[in-house]
Amino acid sequence: MSRRVTRTVAAGLGAVVLLLAGALPAFAQATLEKINQSGTFVVGTRTGSPPFGFIDRNQNWVGFGVDLARLVHAAIEKRLGKTIKFELKETTPATRIPLITSGQVDLIAETMTITRSRMEQVDFGPVYFVTGAQFLVKKGSPITGVKSAAGKRVAVQQGSTNERILREQYPNIQLVVFPDQPAAFAALVQGRVDAYVNDGVQLAGLKAKAPNPGDWVITGEPISYEPYGLAMRENDSDFRDLVAFTLMEAIENGEYRKLYEKWMGEKGDVPYPLSETAETFLRMQVMPR
Amino acid sequence: MFRYDFDWSVLWQPPYGEWLLQGILTTLEISALAWVIALVLGCVAGAMRTVPSAVTRTIGAAYVEFFKNVPLLVWMFFWYFGAPQFLPLAVQDWLNRHGVAFVAAVVALGIYHGARFAEVIRAGIQSVPQGQFEAALSTGLGVAEAYRLILIPIALRLIIPPGTNETLNLLKNSSLALTISVAEITFQTRQIEAYTARGFEAITAGTLIYLVLCLVLAGVMSRVEKAVAIPGLIVRGSGPEG
Repeated sequence: MSRRVTRTVAAGLGAVVLLLAGALPAFAQATLEKINQSGTFVVGTRTGSPPFGFIDRNQNWVGFGVDLARLVHAAIEKRLGKTIKFELKETTPATRIPLITSGQVDLIAETMTITRSRMEQVDFGPVYFVTGAQFLVKKGSPITGVKSAAGKRVAVQQGSTNERILREQYPNIQLVVFPDQPAAFAALVQGRVDAYVNDGVQLAGLKAKAPNPGDWVITGEPISYEPYGLAMRENDSDFRDLVAFTLMEAIENGEYRKLYEKWMGEKGDVPYPLSETAETFLRMQVMPR
Repeated sequence: MFRYDFDWSVLWQPPYGEWLLQGILTTLEISALAWVIALVLGCVAGAMRTVPSAVTRTIGAAYVEFFKNVPLLVWMFFWYFGAPQFLPLAVQDWLNRHGVAFVAAVVALGIYHGARFAEVIRAGIQSVPQGQFEAALSTGLGVAEAYRLILIPIALRLIIPPGTNETLNLLKNSSLALTISVAEITFQTRQIEAYTARGFEAITAGTLIYLVLCLVLAGVMSRVEKAVAIPGLIVRGSGPEG
């Protein structure tokens, strides 16, 4: 190799190091301190995941997750004693952990399942919602669960817990992995895949927003347990307490229930009744003062 | 205070190391196939834009402008979600079962970059002195033969540096195939990130792989350029170093 090539390689490696270095300083700061300095609270959520984070008919970015993040926002403003800008940024299962660890967002408020391997990278607030993975198929499809899905093409979202469960426990299902929900659903609509597996509530959301909800069936026993949590950077107990207390208070004073009804009640965007078990579970997470 | 402990072993631990290798292979396969399509389309459309016939020139220009000016991501979606709809159901079904995403990615990348190659090749043909074309015609060659035997062979030699740039762009743009479920390098780095939550390691690995692939390609092309240079015609490479 000539000297020119060596120089190019060195410059390239240097650039990589700089890229990493650029992402690192955010680690050195507590989240509340960072928010106080920047004057902005950046929340990562989805744009196509009703009812948690989505763009509604009036082009507003809204959702259950967004509303919970707004409660955290109010608590931050109260704590810091000043007005803080509330900013939303799009995250996907594949990008949310890098976005949070690199400091580009301060809180993930979307359909993020709490898992042990994720807990090694980020910290979670209390469980704020519970669901399980099911199949979304066209009406009349022979697929009614994991057994009948053997040999079929099944769309999943990259980075989701469902993808992992299907890959590891049901190797005879042909996985087709998409970076986001709209692409996975489009593949189902166009017939590129036979089914789409995601958390039941997200499928309910998709179905509710589809042009003809009656064309779609959510089927199969839940194949997973998906407890959702708000995620933040690791080892920042001050901020973690603030998020946890905000949620506990909301469950305690009925604010949570009000928001739940707004999004998932009978007249909500995505009707998905809160089961008694789930409600008891939520209440038991509220610690005494 | 926050600290990040790097754990590079996720890059070779099973099955992640294998995923990365598969990703590299897929990227190379898509890129190589798309490159062949792009080069052929580029030569045809590039040549069409330089011929005397106004109709032919317009057709060439229409192809280039239409495909070049729509984002590649849109083309990916079009060839994957849209285009197969126009095929008979049996064909669609067969495609669905036999890697329609891969084919769509190759076609999208090949046709899009064909339009971009066409511009490079057109510039190459136009930079061949007019006398060459006239001399070729005066030896009794037809226009098509003059292009095929004289103009395009010279132009392809002239455009190796900008052509290499386009090739590298094509290689890097192949990463967009992940949006339609093709498991290339970027897809696999994201997959590793999703399984291990080791984003920095995975993305760094992906970055270095693209960097190495591009540098190797550039190195090879620069040798090819020297090897096929026509003495006296191409002055590049005859500077102080050469």
